[in-house]
Amino acid sequence: MSESVIGVSRPRVDAPDKVTGATHFAADGHVHGLLHARLVLSTEAHALLQRVERDAALAMPGVVAVLTADDLPLASAGSDRTTEPLARTEVVFAGQPVALVVAESEAAAEDAVEAVVVEYEPLPAVVDVEDAMLPGRALARVLEEDAGGGDLESIHAGVDKGQEDGEEEQLSGNVLDTVHRNAGDATALLETSDVVVSGTFRTPWVYQAYIEPQVATAWLEPNETLVVSTSTQGSFVTQRELARAFGLPLERIRVIAEPLGGAFGGKLALMEPLAAGAALALRRPVRVVLTRAEDFQATNPASAQVTHLKIGARKDGTLTAIAARMIVDRGSNAGWGVEGITSLLVAGPYRWEAHEIRGYGVQTNRFTFGAYRGPGAPTAAFALETLMDELAVELELDPLELRLQNAVVEDDVGVSGNPFPRMGAVEVLERIRTHPLWQSRDSLPDNEGVGLAAGYWPGGNEPAAAVCRVNQDGTMTVVTSAVDMSGVNTGFAAIAAETFGLSPDQVRVVAADTATGPYSGASGGSKVTYTVGKAVLKAAEAAREKLLAAASDELEIAPADLEVVDGVVRAVGAPDHSITVAEISGKALRFGGRYEPIEGHGGSAQTRGAPSVAAHLAHARVDRETGEITLLAHVIAQDVGRALNPALVEGQMRGGAAQGIGWALYEELVHDENGQLLTGSFLDYAIPLAERVPDIDTLIVEVPAPDGPFGAKGIGEAPVIAAAPAIANAVAAAVGIRLRELPMTAPRVWATLEESGA
Amino acid sequence: MPAARQLELVINGERRSAEVEPRTLLVHALRDGLGLTGTHVGCDTSQCGACTVLLDGRAVKSCTMLAVQAEGAEVTTIEGFARNDELHPIQRAFVEHHGLQCGFCTPGMILTASDLLTRAPDPDDATIRRALRGNFCRCTGYQSIVDSVRAAATALREGEAA
Repeated sequence: MSESVIGVSRPRVDAPDKVTGATHFAADGHVHGLLHARLVLSTEAHALLQRVERDAALAMPGVVAVLTADDLPLASAGSDRTTEPLARTEVVFAGQPVALVVAESEAAAEDAVEAVVVEYEPLPAVVDVEDAMLPGRALARVLEEDAGGGDLESIHAGVDKGQEDGEEEQLSGNVLDTVHRNAGDATALLETSDVVVSGTFRTPWVYQAYIEPQVATAWLEPNETLVVSTSTQGSFVTQRELARAFGLPLERIRVIAEPLGGAFGGKLALMEPLAAGAALALRRPVRVVLTRAEDFQATNPASAQVTHLKIGARKDGTLTAIAARMIVDRGSNAGWGVEGITSLLVAGPYRWEAHEIRGYGVQTNRFTFGAYRGPGAPTAAFALETLMDELAVELELDPLELRLQNAVVEDDVGVSGNPFPRMGAVEVLERIRTHPLWQSRDSLPDNEGVGLAAGYWPGGNEPAAAVCRVNQDGTMTVVTSAVDMSGVNTGFAAIAAETFGLSPDQVRVVAADTATGPYSGASGGSKVTYTVGKAVLKAAEAAREKLLAAASDELEIAPADLEVVDGVVRAVGAPDHSITVAEISGKALRFGGRYEPIEGHGGSAQTRGAPSVAAHLAHARVDRETGEITLLAHVIAQDVGRALNPALVEGQMRGGAAQGIGWALYEELVHDENGQLLTGSFLDYAIPLAERVPDIDTLIVEVPAPDGPFGAKGIGEAPVIAAAPAIANAVAAAVGIRLRELPMTAPRVWATLEESGA
Repeated sequence: MPAARQLELVINGERRSAEVEPRTLLVHALRDGLGLTGTHVGCDTSQCGACTVLLDGRAVKSCTMLAVQAEGAEVTTIEGFARNDELHPIQRAFVEHHGLQCGFCTPGMILTASDLLTRAPDPDDATIRRALRGNFCRCTGYQSIVDSVRAAATALREGEAA
């Protein structure tokens, strides 16, 4: 038997094209007769639209049209970004698209944007999310519109909303959604717990900062099919959203997901309604590509959140109860928010005897909330894992042992009310326990410390299908409609090769579009390897059955006595009796051939979750004079189920941890009191740079997911979650202060040091 | 709008001409005028480095200069970086050492690394990280990129010694 391809590091299948510039991203394709659209963005955070004066712009050379909402063939009166891609009558955040200038060149469109004059009647800007909740406060949206009916929420993690709430809390109309999770008498239990710690934690709006700005191109085919070529995480969901926006049948919309230049949750149906609306209105191809400044203002970053949290324990370290009140700033997003998932994840991978958790989704005049890797999770982990550390101090227990003692195992019931599936919370903590950095934590120089934190992501499910097709030359083509956001195509190649009996370099993976591909949900929620990967496995099995049937006929040996090794079918125990896959396929794929094409179709409908958990160690030094934090080393241990390709898994772990370092130290979208964005470029918004990220040690822990392909599960979100609290706990270990707000910038650290006198 | 003019450039060893307005940035001339879309636009403010090309062997951000300023210079884009249909050792190192995920920053990373390794054939990790501070990557956490550049440095030195 040849060596397994599972668990072996191999380069990404798309790497050669990406290092030579051969990959065509969504802004790269040449389209005949293409028009270029640029956005006119609202300069007001909250106002009624009075008038859009377009004559001056239309008179400029090269300008084809200036479009407002009324000019787009929109089908409904919704107020979400799909059904209202351009503001109709009320603008609800600074940066909201108000008009599209369409011109023969990008430069001409850019020039003409300056000539469009928009008149506003300003309204009070609602920017303080806690104040906005209070009864009688000004509303962030004054004109009633139908809330959206899209399905963008379910992409990320299908979580329940907790129980129906019988109690009446007095809240303003800005509160769009409340979540209540409750079991046992948490209040009474906290009163009688030996130790209780509490705090209020704040995290800001955080930007996905994909390096490829948002872009979409749309055109009409002669048969009236609307074709959209776009940088998106999901082709089918975009197709559905466009059908909803323009009232078109699905069959008239074809969405092509191009190679994705980073997304992290942020690229789902924001640009396509604009490009498609303009193409439908003008009947010419239109491309919308955002500048970085536009991308900062007009897209959908992660919510700011405020979390009030209290947890308790007995003297022996047993956790008792958790009480949380979590306020999620949705900005203008009336359709969905993260109050459901964040109120679940705030309980962490731990057992509680009672819980009382409330979440609130609140509208303000800031951005449109969107998903960003582990939506709602980093902020929940920052609060909980900080308090877990404080609890350990109060109890005089080791912080790792405290977590281990309370870590969930399979079938423990979580605050969702459902039992946890198998998940390696204990295993990752045990790996951390033996790491040299953890062992050395008590013998560090002054002002240095090591911090620990853990967090998990529940994972997502969505039915998916795949096709495995053997070509005449014996190679295989795997067809899915999954968008390769994180290297999944390379994983699919390994799954198909291992299952069928080829070497991975004999397998090519292609991403199909909505007109031709098997169904796949959007790439998000850490679900693609777990769901589409399973479909690939079943498709490869189905193809293998066809292969063995034909080979059995050729070799006159029963299928059960055959094996497939590196593209050769041979008799078990008698390898000389063999025939190559290429020979069989050649006999099938020809005029008068006698065998069915060697093709398999496979589907999956996962019902059990496959959560992934990660623990982080951070080693930080704090400069007491300036408050600056220097991250000296970072370690992440993650349960990945099974590492199909360890190099790619480590890439996800390091990349996620680096984004977590951004949450911890640098990243913050800031508005002024009028809702004007102050950090609208990479000059003002810092993401981690090469010289600011330390080497990140990766510890792969494999607790196989029972239903995953070869035990694999989705791993993309878990590594971002607990990086920030690990760093916060390292700061506490270094200089004895507890930060309650992210990012932990030097001024904040310095001020906290001053206050504490530490 | 000022009149367009004919621009003569030497790109990837070939003499090319394109019609550009005087205000046209080099990156737009490369992408729109010449179809060299391996050079990417990631920001408007010269931070991200996705548009990096080589100008007479030195890395420049092509969003920060006018196309007309490149006249008379040799421009190398990622499309012209491979040698005789074989991957350049830096490109090969990025493939083998997993120095990329989404790949959007990759051409700029590779060309910035080329500039570094021309000046400093045996850089330590801190030097590599400093050299890459003008190139953003949001996917990898940089470590695999640093590994790739270090491996490329070794390969290039060994190639020269051979």
